[in-house]
Amino acid sequence: MKKSSLFASASVLGLGILLNVLGASQADAAANCIKGDRKAPYTLGWANIYSVPTWMKQTQGTIEAEVEQLKKEGLVDKLVVTDAQGDSNVQIQQIQSMIDANVDAIILIAGSSTAPARVLADACAKGIAIINFDSLVDTKDVTAKVNTDSHQWGEQATKFMVDALGGKGKILILNGPAGVSVSDDRRAGGNDLLKANPNIQILAETNTAYNVAPAQEAVTSLLFAHPEIDGILSFGGALSAGAVLALDKQGREQVPITGENARQFLELWKEKGLKSWATMQPNWLGAFAAYTAVQALEGKDVPAFVKVPLPIIDNSNIDEYLARAKDFPADGYIYSPYDRELFAKLLAQK
Amino acid sequence: MSNTTLSPPARSGSLYWAIQAKRNIGVRGLFLVVLGFMVAYGFLFHGLFTGSGFAKFTQSWFPLALVAMAQAILMLTGGISLAIGALVSLGAVLAATTITGPLGVAGGTALVCLAGLGIGAVTGIIVVRLRLPAIVVTLAGSFIIAGAALLVLPRPGGAMPPWLSDLLAGNTPAAFGVLVVVVLLWKLYLATPLGLSLYAAGENPVGAYRSGVPVDAARIAAYAISGLLCTGAGLFVAAQTGSGDPIIGNSFTLNSIAAAVLGGIGFLGGQGTMRGALAGSLLLSLMISVMFFLGFTPVAQYVAQGLIIIGAVAIPQFRMRAR
Repeated sequence: MKKSSLFASASVLGLGILLNVLGASQADAAANCIKGDRKAPYTLGWANIYSVPTWMKQTQGTIEAEVEQLKKEGLVDKLVVTDAQGDSNVQIQQIQSMIDANVDAIILIAGSSTAPARVLADACAKGIAIINFDSLVDTKDVTAKVNTDSHQWGEQATKFMVDALGGKGKILILNGPAGVSVSDDRRAGGNDLLKANPNIQILAETNTAYNVAPAQEAVTSLLFAHPEIDGILSFGGALSAGAVLALDKQGREQVPITGENARQFLELWKEKGLKSWATMQPNWLGAFAAYTAVQALEGKDVPAFVKVPLPIIDNSNIDEYLARAKDFPADGYIYSPYDRELFAKLLAQK
Repeated sequence: MSNTTLSPPARSGSLYWAIQAKRNIGVRGLFLVVLGFMVAYGFLFHGLFTGSGFAKFTQSWFPLALVAMAQAILMLTGGISLAIGALVSLGAVLAATTITGPLGVAGGTALVCLAGLGIGAVTGIIVVRLRLPAIVVTLAGSFIIAGAALLVLPRPGGAMPPWLSDLLAGNTPAAFGVLVVVVLLWKLYLATPLGLSLYAAGENPVGAYRSGVPVDAARIAAYAISGLLCTGAGLFVAAQTGSGDPIIGNSFTLNSIAAAVLGGIGFLGGQGTMRGALAGSLLLSLMISVMFFLGFTPVAQYVAQGLIIIGAVAIPQFRMRAR
């Protein structure tokens, strides 16, 4: 009995290794979905879920800039853009249209983490390179997924706060909307560190939309309730700007605060002389997705998941960011610089 | 605009067709616009004439066609529903959680249908018996139903059997076949006493009541059928996407009203035809694909969509004035 089960598990193990080897050799041949029958210059489809927010416009800007570069290199001849206006059903229909029009690659920010799975499987079966970034779909039928790590975002922000307060102090925590995965993941990322530092006392937590006004309102009412606040652990850039404005309006002293690369927040940071830390969801994820799609079509191996490290802004490099501020919209995001060298490095990581 | 004299599919054929032709007058302009778009689409995308191309196109249209019918039935009785999208979401999450679960395909489908019929009927009873404004009741209902959908499935997930997805939303025009059946059933329903009462109850409820028409029953039945069409659309969306998403239906509320109004259905009840609403929904769906193939940028699409909708509604009005 024992012997036979041992044998069974050994053979399963062997089978597993065999499958792994097979899988690996397949991955070496070409990236997922790529059949090698498509030739440059390629047509790229950019299936956006919603084009109105500033972050999306800037992201589209990086895609267009990258496509211009790729056109000069003779690798791309056309970029088609769709906007689903927030409707996942429309996004599916537009992806279907891209398949019908026989585009060579689709880059995608998904409106639903499940809904596009079947239409993407159709696209993948037709040899279309699919690069999914920012909002991801639960499916294996894409060439690559590209994103930063929200959990790490929360962990690093919390680490900054614990260090800034020397492990002891009273803080407010500002979250994005409840039930949104990005917001939940960032908060969860900070959990372990907060538990390990019981001297960091959480006075209150807020859940607001990622906008300045509601955050400012929420923090203002908390300021009345808490005369002594040592730090603000904010899990969103607009939330941080709202908190800084709330402190300022009340004439309260600014405290260490975490945030994102929203231009408004970075300018307040400098103006008020804050001790702060910020990271970002880089807009150039769009440009990187376009670049990756072409690399995959050219037969290069592309990892199934590219984890983009979070660029960090702190008091040592804030001036570099603000020096470039005039190149970005007033309500926009000052993203970290990027180039082909960085893209190649990201694709090389395993 | 439309003639409300309703004869069941008649023995005297010529009279039947004459009446049908008269009822088409208001939507003839829309039919022409839709036909124009169909031709343009076929011209731009030759794959439309292949089996799978036609199948994929009708699948994009199908859920919108069902919710347009769901809204049109209510508007014909003088009602309206703001809960259409929430019901689609509920149908989708119920399907994605029960069909691969303990209930199986038959049980899960039955549950989805019963949920739609039941919620629709309860809404209808509240609106009709308590004499409350439909817009308020269905707005409140949409919050409750959307909440229920989130309780069933808090985050996108669930599953549908792959064979069912391939059957309904694969490379065969099965969805179009279902739509044809639904339309035939609608024709049959119009020949029943309740169906005959539908237009009368919408156009002139008091007069109809005094003539012995079961006005309340006709209106409650309309709400129940409307609910069934919505959860049915939800089941299809679940099959089409292979999963459930608790907010997938949101945009259907507004689109269903747009399709019905585009199709010549009046807000005051008793005015318009189902074929108009179907044509309206077809136009909304066609526009998305045609503008993609024409290479419109997203901003140009916003503008063009608005212009086409205004145009399709305005053309018949201009023609009537010119007469």
